[in-house]
Formats: sequence, C-alpha cells, structure tokens
Amino acid sequence: MTETVIAKDSKSAATPRRKSGGHNAERLAYLFVLPALALVVVFRIIPLIWGLGYSFTDYDGMSQPRFVGFDNYIGIAHDPVFLDSLVNMLILLATLPIWIGLPLVLAILIHQGVPGGKIFRAVYFFPAVLSSVIVGAIFNVLLRYDGSFNLFLKAMGFSAVDWLGNSSTALFSLIAVQLWSTFGMSLLIFIAGLSTVSSEMLEAAKLDGAKLLQMWWHIVIPSIRPIIEFAAVVTTIGMLTSMFGLIYVLTAGGPGTSTILPEFLIWLEQGKMNRPGYASAISMVLFLMMAGLAAIQIRIMSRNADI
Amino acid sequence: MKTTNRILRAGTMLATALVMTLGVAASAKADTTLTVWDWKSGDPTTTPYYDKVKADFEAAHPGVTVKFVMQPHDQYYTLLGTAIAASQGPDVVLVHGGSQAKERIPAFSKLDDKVADLKARVAGWDEFAGADGSVYAVPISIQGLAVYYNKELYKKAGLDPEVTPKTWAELDAICAKLKAAGTTCFALGNKEGYGADFFYSAAAANALTAEQQAAWTTGDLKWSSPEIKAIVQKWVDTQKDGWYAEGANSTAKFMDEYQSFERSENANTIGLLSDVAHWKEFDEFLEPQNVGVYVLPPVSGGDGKLRMPLAGGIGYAVTKFSPNQDLAAELAKSFAATPAMQVFFESAGAVPSDTAVDTSKVESPSAKVVLGSLSDGAPLLHNNTSTAETEEWHRQSQMLFTGETTVDKAVARLDEVQAQAKKK
Repeated sequence: MTETVIAKDSKSAATPRRKSGGHNAERLAYLFVLPALALVVVFRIIPLIWGLGYSFTDYDGMSQPRFVGFDNYIGIAHDPVFLDSLVNMLILLATLPIWIGLPLVLAILIHQGVPGGKIFRAVYFFPAVLSSVIVGAIFNVLLRYDGSFNLFLKAMGFSAVDWLGNSSTALFSLIAVQLWSTFGMSLLIFIAGLSTVSSEMLEAAKLDGAKLLQMWWHIVIPSIRPIIEFAAVVTTIGMLTSMFGLIYVLTAGGPGTSTILPEFLIWLEQGKMNRPGYASAISMVLFLMMAGLAAIQIRIMSRNADI
Repeated sequence: MKTTNRILRAGTMLATALVMTLGVAASAKADTTLTVWDWKSGDPTTTPYYDKVKADFEAAHPGVTVKFVMQPHDQYYTLLGTAIAASQGPDVVLVHGGSQAKERIPAFSKLDDKVADLKARVAGWDEFAGADGSVYAVPISIQGLAVYYNKELYKKAGLDPEVTPKTWAELDAICAKLKAAGTTCFALGNKEGYGADFFYSAAAANALTAEQQAAWTTGDLKWSSPEIKAIVQKWVDTQKDGWYAEGANSTAKFMDEYQSFERSENANTIGLLSDVAHWKEFDEFLEPQNVGVYVLPPVSGGDGKLRMPLAGGIGYAVTKFSPNQDLAAELAKSFAATPAMQVFFESAGAVPSDTAVDTSKVESPSAKVVLGSLSDGAPLLHNNTSTAETEEWHRQSQMLFTGETTVDKAVARLDEVQAQAKKK
C-alpha cells in the first residue's frame, strides 16, 4: 500500500515537472521565432495589407486617397501595357525548362567528375554574386548595336543585330542575360542534391549493364526530384521578381512594351506616373499569380513526396 | 560618510543636469539644417554655383546649414515621390519645369507672396505655375531645344557651314547631301524615348499657332490632328530616309547620343540650351568655331519665322511638409540671386533665368545665337504633355521604328491616353 502511494506520488510529482519543462521549451521556441516573425509581419504582411487597401483607391502619393472600388482592377483588365506585360511574363515562364535543365545537366557533368569540375563550378557561380545592375552594364556594352557581339558577328560575315532595340530579340536577350547571371545558384543546389544519390544503387546499375543516360534518367533524376522541384519553385519566383534591374539598365522596358514585365510596370506606374493606387492593384494581381503558381508547384511536390 | 555620499550624489546629478541643459540649448541654437534634393550639386561644372549659394545663404542666416543631397537623375522622381508620399525628407527640391513640376504641385508650397520681388528680374515662371496661376517654384534656368551641327562635317559634304535650313525641305536636302557623303545626318538615342520627345517638341514649336499650343495643353488638340500627325509621320519618314544610325532604340540619349556627336560620328543633334548636352559641352569637344546651331524648321505650317523653343528649365520648390517654410522659401529664392546665377552661367554654361546676369563676355558663336534668341521663344510642346502621354509616346515612337505599329494606330492609341490623362 505504501509502495503504491509512493509510486502514485512519484508519478504525480514527475508529470507536472515534464509538462512545465515542455511549456518552457515551447515558450523558448516561440521566443526564437519571434524576431523573424516580427520582421515578416512588419515588412511583408503589413505592407501587403496596406497595398491591398491602396489598390482600391486613386492614391497619387500626394493627395488624400479616395476609395474607387474596383476601378483600378477594371483599368488593369483593359490596359494594353499590362496585358502585354502578361504575355511577356508567359514567354518568360515558358523558358523555365531551360532554367532548370541547363544547370541540372552541368551539375551532373561536374558531379561525374569532368576534368576541371571545380573550376567550372566556381566560374558558373561567379555571376550569381554580381548585382543585376553590374551585369546589365556589362551586357549593355556587349549587346549594343556597335558592341562587341555585333563586331564579332560582322567579323564572321554576318549582319549586326539590334539585340536590345528590336522587339523580336530584346526579351530573349534579357532572358539569356538573366539566365547567365543566375543559373549558378541552381547549379550549386543540384550539386548538393546529387551528393545524396546512393552510390550503391549506381554501382549496381552499372554492374547490371545500365548505360550512362539510363542511369541518369532512371536513378539520378528520380532521386533528386524534390530538389528539382524546389529549384523550379525558387526559380519561378525569381523570374517574376528579380528581372527589374536588368530591364532598367538594358532596355528600359522597350522597344515598345516588348520587355515590360509586371514588376517593371509596377515601378513605372508608381515611380514615373505617380499612381501608387494603380501600381498597388497590379502588385496584388502579380502577388495572386505568384501565389497561385507556387501553390500549384508545392502541390505537385507534396504529391510526389507521397509517392 | 553619509553626508559626503549625499553631497557627491547631488553634485553628480547637478553636473549631469547642467551638461544636458547646455547640450540641448546648444543643439537647439545650432542648428536648423535645410536639406535640398537635386541631381546636379555633385556635378563638377555646377559645384561652384552650389558652393556659392550655400556660402551666401549660410553667411546671411547664422545657425542654418544647407545640406545638398544629390540623387541619381534617372531615379529622381521615384525617390521624390517616395519622400512626398511619406511627407518627410527634403525642405527644398529641384524640379523640371512643365509637367514634372505641375503634376507635383499638391506637394509644394505656394510662393507668390514670397517671390514678388523676383518676378521682374527672373524669367520662366509659367512652367512652375499651377492651374490657379500661383507660383510653386523659383526658376533658375531657361531650357530649350536647338539643333547643334558639326561645321567640319558640313564642309566635307560640300555644304556651306554658315547656311542653316529655314524649311523642312532645306533640311531634307542637307541630310540627303550628308548621306551621300557617307555621314549620318542626325545623332539619335531613343532607348528611353527621349529622342522622340525632343523630335516632336522641336518640330512642333514653330508649326503650331499660339491657339494650337494652348489647345494642346488642355487636350483639345489631339495627336491625330493633322498638325501633330504630320510630325509623327516625319518621325517615321526620317528613319526610312536614313537620317539616323542603326540601333537608335538601344542607344541612350544621355549621353551615348551626344558622345557620338562629340566624336564627329554624325553631323547634327537636337540638344539643349542649358546645363547639359549644350553649346558649352559641344564647344569643348569640337572647338567653338566648329559648332553651329539652328532652330529645327517646322514640318508644316508656321509663319516663316523660326523661334527657339524655350521655357523655364529647372527650379526650386519648397515641400509642404518642410518644418521651416519661411527659411526654405528664402533658400529657394537664393538660388536665383544674381551673383550665384552669374557663377551658374560661367561655370556650367547654363542659360540663367536671371535677366540681370552679364552674358556679354561669352565668345562661343553658338552661345551667342542661343542667348540672342531668348527674347522671342516658342513654347516647348513636351512641357505641356502629360506624363502618361509622354510614356506612351516613348513606346509608340520605338514601335514606329521597329515597324510594329503604323502612324494611324500610334496616334489613335495616343489619343486614348491623352483623353484619359486630360479627362476629355
């Protein structure tokens, strides 16, 4: 009887201690998360809510904002510049396979141990540390009509091309420059992912007579699929939000509307046209599109993870 | 012991209080700082002017410090917009005359009662006036558009370098002759659309009557009107006729276009009267005797007289949110003080808004032409064009060059934007 009482007492004494320790750990965890959470709330969530509010006004940055309902959103739907920027965005998104495929292939080659792999890795990554304005300034010199690329083309007997001044080439030139300057980051992610691929499995496949391409296709790529999907999400968001510097320096959105993307249009409307209300509405539309795209991609990732 | 501690504590508190009081008093007395935003104060050619304004103002207002903050020109209005939206930042700001100033008038203080003593001496007020006729900035320069040409290249093409075109047909003939001699007629940078701005504004200056200019300002004269459409058509025709080098859409007007002119790669360029891309700059590269200047003839219309298109150039406004309204207005006025304006003219070659500045010692032949034309100028059309129309014209002008649109479609689209911007 006495033993039972002692046992009960010891249990009842131990439980609150564990609970109290658990609560403390939980509180501590919240404490650690708090600064990051505060930053997200102050610099992301609150501006987002403000932006949403402004998108329903005719705010010009100077006068008192006036509520205009959905006028800005209706205006956007009929704005040819915005519609052109959407087309440009779709063209940009259509190039996503190249943004993923190119660094993936190069990462596999480096992982396979091609001669000079370490040098290639450093060289490919180097542009990723340059600011887009510097990259833009470099390519401005290279791609201008009397620039180095055209001098080379002329020396080879071809005609010069107005890479940045012709609507059919300007957007693709921008995409190529942005790809050049950022693919090093995806490359590093893929190299890190490739190091997790089971070498035993590859050895076994080799012993079974699998060819290099078969090994890539059936073992390597399925093994790093979550990494590829992660890179696809990050790259897509980067494509829609990180082109501003290059557009600003290389083409200023032209010729015509051929290199205007929604993010650049937001700046045009806010910075040049004094229409923060309208710019906020475009921001909201861009935000919804990006959230939708990210949600689709994350859903695909989760489904594959379940498999 | 206790008494000693008490005395020490009281002494320390007293000393701290004294230091704090003195510090607060000193800082309150020291210092009112007036912050000025511009895009010019760091330019070596304008530094003497800004130094003079600062020195004179601070000497006349002890305890006041003038702080110049030079912002990048291409992002200036974005930054200014942010400051205005936040209602904090500069006390005094530099703005371009015309639509850039007028569209920001709600953020500026009315200066009428403070600048009455300047009105007669200083010119160019209209570009800084609101719809109510009140003045919102003090002009410091006269700006305008002129065609500068390289006399050496004219000679090489067999042209008389002292004969300038009086009609569009004569200009056409000059360009044909230059082209035949292997010289590009005009330098052109239209990457941001500024080349097209200068073209239509210069071509319209002597083509439109005063009534038509006024109708343009109110939005009653449309882009599709015969007068304006003829200019847009000429924009296309001149490209087809080979007036410009290839790659205009990817060439920046500031300063790639002007640098190519200074390298004698082309014979003409539409430049400015003041501050930058003007006679003083071209004189330095091509030698004064090799630089000529003329007024772009009208595409059509006009009364046969060629007036230089000009207006108030840049000026200083006081922000409504400045806590030092009177001092800031004094400072804005001091930018147009004659001794400072004299320095502005001599160091930067700016055409001053101050009519009392002595320009008689200038020797540059092209400067003499520019200065001689100030008394009877024509309006600058682009100063009275809304920002929305200007942006759309930039885009349409590029698409007209690439062949993606036609003159009819371009002016129709510009009519829509004009109607929207001017609520017609």
